[in-house]
Amino acid sequence: SLQSAGHISKVSHGSNKPVTELSLRTLVDMGFTEPQAEQLHEAVSTVRGASATKHALSTLTALFVLGYNTSSVQKLLLKCPELCTVKEPQLQQRISNLRKLGFVEGSLQRVVAHYPQILTVPVKKVNYVVLFLRERCLFTTMQITDILRDNPAIILEDLGQVEYKFQYVFFRMGIKQREMIKSRLFRFSLDEVRSRHCFLERRGLYQTPDKKGQTTTVNPKLDSILNVNQDTFLTAVAMASAEEYEIFQRLMAREWQEQEKEYDSIEAD
Amino acid sequence: EKWAATLPKFPPTSLALQHFDATYSVQLGQLWPSVRIALLSERKYGALLNTFSHDAVLEDLQAKGCRDFITDTDTEALPCLDPESVVGVEGESNDVPVKKSNADRHLKISPKIKCLVFPRGDITRFKPARPDTQRLLGYYLLDAASVLPCLALDIQEGHIVLDLCAAPGGKAVALLQTQAIGFLCLNDTSVSRTLRLKKVLHSYIPKELLTSKNLRITSSDGTKWGEIENNTFDRVLVDVPCTTDRHSVMEDDNNIFSKNRIGERRRLPQLQLELLLAGIEAACPGGEIMYSTCTLSHIQNQSVVEQAIHLAQENHGIILEVVDLRPLTHMFRKTFHFAPNLHLGEMVIPHLGANFGPIYMCKLRRLT
Ligand SMILES: C[S@@+](CC[C@H](N)C(=O)[O-])C[C@H]1O[C@@H](n2cnc3c(N)ncnc32)[C@H](O)[C@@H]1O
Repeated sequence: SLQSAGHISKVSHGSNKPVTELSLRTLVDMGFTEPQAEQLHEAVSTVRGASATKHALSTLTALFVLGYNTSSVQKLLLKCPELCTVKEPQLQQRISNLRKLGFVEGSLQRVVAHYPQILTVPVKKVNYVVLFLRERCLFTTMQITDILRDNPAIILEDLGQVEYKFQYVFFRMGIKQREMIKSRLFRFSLDEVRSRHCFLERRGLYQTPDKKGQTTTVNPKLDSILNVNQDTFLTAVAMASAEEYEIFQRLMAREWQEQEKEYDSIEAD
Repeated sequence: EKWAATLPKFPPTSLALQHFDATYSVQLGQLWPSVRIALLSERKYGALLNTFSHDAVLEDLQAKGCRDFITDTDTEALPCLDPESVVGVEGESNDVPVKKSNADRHLKISPKIKCLVFPRGDITRFKPARPDTQRLLGYYLLDAASVLPCLALDIQEGHIVLDLCAAPGGKAVALLQTQAIGFLCLNDTSVSRTLRLKKVLHSYIPKELLTSKNLRITSSDGTKWGEIENNTFDRVLVDVPCTTDRHSVMEDDNNIFSKNRIGERRRLPQLQLELLLAGIEAACPGGEIMYSTCTLSHIQNQSVVEQAIHLAQENHGIILEVVDLRPLTHMFRKTFHFAPNLHLGEMVIPHLGANFGPIYMCKLRRLT
């Protein structure tokens, strides 16, 4: 990785001024193919703001240092060109914060490749989400790393919604943190979770456990409810027709919308 | 918001659901989950068209995508029916063979009754009906399946008709749409509900048709009817109080599964039996009686009919035959889900695709 960093520092054409501007030439010199470079240049230039691409080179360097090759870097920046606007010290801070949160070599690279936006979020905000997951939802440190790894987008989600989803699954469905992690709950939207759960519940196939955690029939596992496609969900778990589920979802959407309106009007009173 | 804390321990709705889970899962088997979710989800309505209203309601509703389910039927011929006309009734009263009529292949359906529904799977709601210049409302919103007992009752010109449990009056409004009734007796034991019935009639039926020449409204105990007016009516509708399954799982208010109404609920089958027997006695020989409920319960449906047939013969020497309603269910199977293979009567069971019912109906004809 030092090699590629050194390679970049040499990049300066004609004049001896250090290059701060991201040009096609620079990109090709860094090892991108011409079509890659063109695509990348175009993507980065679309990011608005005066100093938009001022930090492009330091970002590129940092990414190479993390061990990505040119094609991974290209993919990553196409996904999130905003990364080029992040100042170098901040970028470094964010990367080392992720390491502190339990992302060791390999898993760090995977999470950034999967969701590069995570490096555009201030350390403070990330740590706030971590604190929220620990204190409001009582997840352990290791579980929180799992959540961030499986669904890094949670960092930018509305925490009120996240808490609602957690409480829904915890109280209404009677599911403990460990099972939430196993089923990658936070990858699914509240509507998806609620639709499938309510569908089963109204069919008599799911019960909220009582205070002792007991139900009169055995609930299907959260994993088998969420991590299957709709066909499998209908035939293997709900034993219902696609017509029923389709109509049910429309009915629920209207029910929930009306409930929200009701809450809103109560709050407004 | 905490989910667990807000729920009272055993609200009547969950008692009802527990009860239904225990009984209907046995009674309906594989069908129960689909019926259960339909009961617990928003129901569909039908708009019973008021032919006395002057507004162009029919066109208006059709433009919104509704269709009259009574004319929009399955025209395919009914596959060969069970040729046996006498079937034994299972249950305690096995000694009474129930004669099933075979002569009703051709349904006579009043052309004046129209009921509009949104197509299968369409969850659009009806707007409340509006009064026309004569202050008559354009339609009555009800469970579309509850029009079926009225259709099946087959009112003909000049008939003397009794509606023994008539309030709040949805079925009475449907019966009056035929414009064929010679005289109509509407009864309901509840005084307050009889008042509502009167209000409903005044909102739907022109004053000229609500005179003492055409109509009588009473608030008697229907079980005593047979003591006063026997062998009189061509048609009798006995739409009894029941566990109103849909209401019982959805609304805690006025719920028959609440703890303080256990006795009342236990007495329902007996009350239903007495009402049906009174209705049978009130009918004239050759007259027809329609028993209907809005529950799925075997005990409140088939068992009541079975016992009534038995007791009518034992105690009053009245011989009855059960009228085959399969031509009717066949005709309307596009709109409703009917329970398969009921040995007595027919039943619309709720389904998300067509969320009407439950409505049970069984038609009897007095042979003597
Ligand atoms: C299912 S509702 C009837 C609905 C009505 N046929 C309609 O379509 O609008 C049953 C009615 O039976 C009435 N009822 C209860 N016990 C009765 C009795 N002993 N005699 C007559 N009516 C009774 C109740 O007051 C209630 O209005």
